[in-house]
Amino acid sequence: MSIASDLIRGHTDTIILAQLYYNDSYGYEINKTIQQKTAGRYELKEATLYSAFRRMENAGYILSYWGDEKTGARRRYYKITETGRDTYMRLMAEWKTAKSMIDSLIELEDE
Amino acid sequence: MNDKLRRYIEGLFENVPQTKSMVELKEEMLQNLIEKYEDLIHEGKGEDDAYNIAVAGIGDINELIDDMEKPSVMVDMNVARQKSAMLVSIGVMCYMLSLVPILMCLNSNIKFFTGVIGFFIFIALGTGLLIYNVMSKPKPIIDGSTMVNEFREWKMEKSQKRSTRISISVALWALLIALYFIISFITYDWHLTWIVFIIGIAIEALINIFAAIKK
Repeated sequence: MSIASDLIRGHTDTIILAQLYYNDSYGYEINKTIQQKTAGRYELKEATLYSAFRRMENAGYILSYWGDEKTGARRRYYKITETGRDTYMRLMAEWKTAKSMIDSLIELEDE
Repeated sequence: MNDKLRRYIEGLFENVPQTKSMVELKEEMLQNLIEKYEDLIHEGKGEDDAYNIAVAGIGDINELIDDMEKPSVMVDMNVARQKSAMLVSIGVMCYMLSLVPILMCLNSNIKFFTGVIGFFIFIALGTGLLIYNVMSKPKPIIDGSTMVNEFREWKMEKSQKRSTRISISVALWALLIALYFIISFITYDWHLTWIVFIIGIAIEALINIFAAIKK
């Protein structure tokens, strides 16, 4: 688990951008989706999540706005920008390249 | 239980300056924490279990806080300060030198009027420099999201307005004194020309009223 999460950590931005690609969302919902998609095996620490939000907001990949919930506390929603979509595509392409390279490097060939 | 979660979040941010972005971060974290806690309760977890799981999911927030406290843009104010000092010095020098043409006229046979023109040129130059200095002072670009910075900006705006006013006032009185001497020497009506200063006071009062209305 810990090794796996080290591997995943480098892709936090890509993961978050992917969750925001089609729909705006907020911190807990994003983390819940991540948990569900990994069948409970992976979950971002909230501190990591908020760091990534702030960093990507400063970089112009995402925007944030407060929801208008009638009851209880307000949610802070995030929205992906055009720059964010471009960045997602670039990160995705980089990952695919890296993945195929690593696969070919670490897989054992039959004798 | 929400209060317990709130207290926990407050505890995390205890020694952190309460800037706007920090307060927002706190609100965001608390809101998400509450939703997570409620989901865990729905799944059938006990209150304490749910609280512990929710709180454990936060992780180390120190790095996050450090990131946010960093000023986003640093402005090198030293260069600007040097430039400003230079402008003010030259401006004041112009005021002092403005008397030279007049003094030169008094001790020679150059027409007095020529001296007065020289006097005006120096005054105009000095005033121009001082006003330019006030107008061109750079505003440091600061992360406007903190209370301290908002206050600083407000204060700076105020002091800038004040120095513009002082520059105008200095220019006005320099011109009036010049006018007083010119008219007096031309007409030799010394018993009347002092009225220039009364007019000056009126003009200054009008400028103040105008500034107050504009604000």
